[in-house]
Amino acid sequence: MANARALDKRRKSIRNIRKITRTMELIATARYKKAMDRAAAVTAYTDRLSQIVASLSEAGTEVQHPLLEKRENPKAARILVLASNRGLCGGFNASVLRTSMPVINELKASIGNVIVDASGKRGINGLKFRGVATDQKFLQFEDQPAYADVEKIAEGYLEKYITGEIDRLEVIYTKFVSTSRQVATVETLLPLGSLSDGDQTVKITGGPSKEYEFLPSAESIMEEVVPTSFKAKLFKCFLDAAVSEQVARMIAMKGATESAGDMIKQLSMTYNRARQSQITGEIMEIIGGVEALEG
Amino acid sequence: MSTATQSAVGRVTQVIGSTFDIEFPEGQLPAIYNAVTIRSQHKGVTINLTGEVQQHLGGGRVRAIALGSTEGMMRGMDVVNTGKPVTVPVGQATLGRVFNVLGETIDGRGPVNADEYRPIHRQAPAVNELTTSTEVFETGIKVVDLLTPFVRGGKAGLFGGAGLGKTVILTEMIARIASAHGGYSVFAGVGERTREGTDLWLEMQEAVIGDTGRKVIEQTCMVFGQMNEPPGSRLRVALSALTMAEYFRDSTGADTLLFVDNIFRFSQAGSEVSALLGRMPSAVGYQPTLATEMGALQERITSTKNGAITSVQAVYVPADDPTDPAPATAFSQLDAFIYLERSISEKGIYPAIDPLASNSRILDPQYVGERHYAIARRVQTTLQRYRELQDIIAILGVDELSEDDKTIVHRARRIERFMSQPFLVAEVFTGKKGEITSLADTIRSFEEICDGKWDHLREQAFMYVGAIEQAEAQDKKMSEKEKAK
Repeated sequence: MANARALDKRRKSIRNIRKITRTMELIATARYKKAMDRAAAVTAYTDRLSQIVASLSEAGTEVQHPLLEKRENPKAARILVLASNRGLCGGFNASVLRTSMPVINELKASIGNVIVDASGKRGINGLKFRGVATDQKFLQFEDQPAYADVEKIAEGYLEKYITGEIDRLEVIYTKFVSTSRQVATVETLLPLGSLSDGDQTVKITGGPSKEYEFLPSAESIMEEVVPTSFKAKLFKCFLDAAVSEQVARMIAMKGATESAGDMIKQLSMTYNRARQSQITGEIMEIIGGVEALEG
Repeated sequence: MSTATQSAVGRVTQVIGSTFDIEFPEGQLPAIYNAVTIRSQHKGVTINLTGEVQQHLGGGRVRAIALGSTEGMMRGMDVVNTGKPVTVPVGQATLGRVFNVLGETIDGRGPVNADEYRPIHRQAPAVNELTTSTEVFETGIKVVDLLTPFVRGGKAGLFGGAGLGKTVILTEMIARIASAHGGYSVFAGVGERTREGTDLWLEMQEAVIGDTGRKVIEQTCMVFGQMNEPPGSRLRVALSALTMAEYFRDSTGADTLLFVDNIFRFSQAGSEVSALLGRMPSAVGYQPTLATEMGALQERITSTKNGAITSVQAVYVPADDPTDPAPATAFSQLDAFIYLERSISEKGIYPAIDPLASNSRILDPQYVGERHYAIARRVQTTLQRYRELQDIIAILGVDELSEDDKTIVHRARRIERFMSQPFLVAEVFTGKKGEITSLADTIRSFEEICDGKWDHLREQAFMYVGAIEQAEAQDKKMSEKEKAK
């Protein structure tokens, strides 16, 4: 049994840790709320965008755009991994990395020329540890990714795609489903499979079907809508990742605070016991000594 | 130590627990450590007791400790001074027999025909008679061979709290060493359960030495002073056994094994009589002579130029506190120190040897070789780091560790489990055959785990196997079972 003083010291240090983790939990909660609001706002925007596109296609327009066409025999692919700059967020980064490794290996096997980009220090370092070099490294994204930053990245990808430098773009990020569920997901952003948002197909129920008149032409409108849709989608990925990170941190810190509390309880018990037995021992010795002297 | 007053007769003047005072005629006092006997019959109660003189009180009185029960003793009884310390039979005749502290047989096979009797109190061998050679003693237990190699002719201690498996490891050692060993073995049961002694005795009658066809018991003698006996008996029984072992060492020159279960009971018995003898208690209530007593015993368990005594001793650690004076005193006497840890036994890993607290004098490149030493240290560093990380893992979870630390944790958990091993004596309980792993296999296995060669096996596959290949086989078996489901 360790001595009482060592136990007390340890208990103190765990108390400090608990203080820190509790603070981090509160901060993460606040940030999560903010990030969540932003994400919700963007969701409304992307939904509306998809709705427009859906209405367009419903109106019988032939939707054609190079970004939408699947290329035969892809020669080069890019993978963008969205992780966080900071740790202490539970399995957030680990699960993103766990999801990306098979994808990277698979694409490397089937396509060959695969370049990996990553956002977040943790992601870059994690990939490096696993022997994957990263090309573009983005470190500027925290809990509130700016649209301007994401747009720049998106434009870079669009240019590469159009010039044929890349034939495919995969984004691996943590999708925010609900507060209690975030899933690391792989999404193919280029070529854009469809304009509507994959699983949440926007349905327009009822109402009279709309008639559209394109001015100046359908092509020029597509030229505008499709890249914007891509940018919005990429932005949404960044936002989801940011929200998920905050949620993950909140939950991880909550758990940490609780386990620190448990540990303190345990240590207090051992400490009290050690202290008591120390006192008992000393009393016994004194009494024994006195009796021996008298006898 | 014998005196001319062979026939001196004294009278009991006082009986205090397991000690008693005797008054002798002036000038006929028995020497310290002399045995005194009381044989009397009073109102149908027969008393046949031997005591050992401990103190001269003045006024013709001496104080003695009883080596048997003092029930029925009365003041005024006649006490005969035997003129010499307690003597026990030694030699070939003692093999295969079971004795008590006085050297009387207790196996119900009649008296022993020994040519020679020796007093149980003797001097430790002189410095110039001791051997200086150091040689590793292989046991076939992975964790012991790797981290706490035994010394041939040295002393190894098994420290552990209640119920961690000290006695099991000790019997395992007997099964492994004694059955492969050609020399003699002496077993001292000090203050432990009588049942365990009986089990061991019956087991030894069945066990066969190597392929000679001879039974282990034919090369062994056993001395018991178990927990039902008075402190005087428990205090001296280790000496009785040691005297028999010393004879084999000195007279036959054979390698002798001495097993003691449990040396702590020796100290405990000493503390029980210490207060009765009027000594002031020292730290934690132990006798002030704790270190002296232990030293006098342990210094005799040693190897000389004539022959070697290799000894394995179990040491009970009260309240799992290794700083308690009794185990701490025993600790300093030993070459190999094995510490059994409760938290490991709680994980179901047996032997529950703590790889970080245990140590051996010869875990040194000079004796075990560079490679063995390097790997042992590597295993310890890995486990040490894992232990340091345990608090972080408990609070924040494994995911927060850096990648390097994750690898360390991953391997440390495997190493930890790989330290378990099926025992020969536990076959009936585990249903697994005991494993004797050669030192070369042990070193190679641990090296490969540290190198990460076996990272892909599941943790559970490392439990209760011998060499690493068995872990691989066990992993395969588990996969098949899962598939079948």
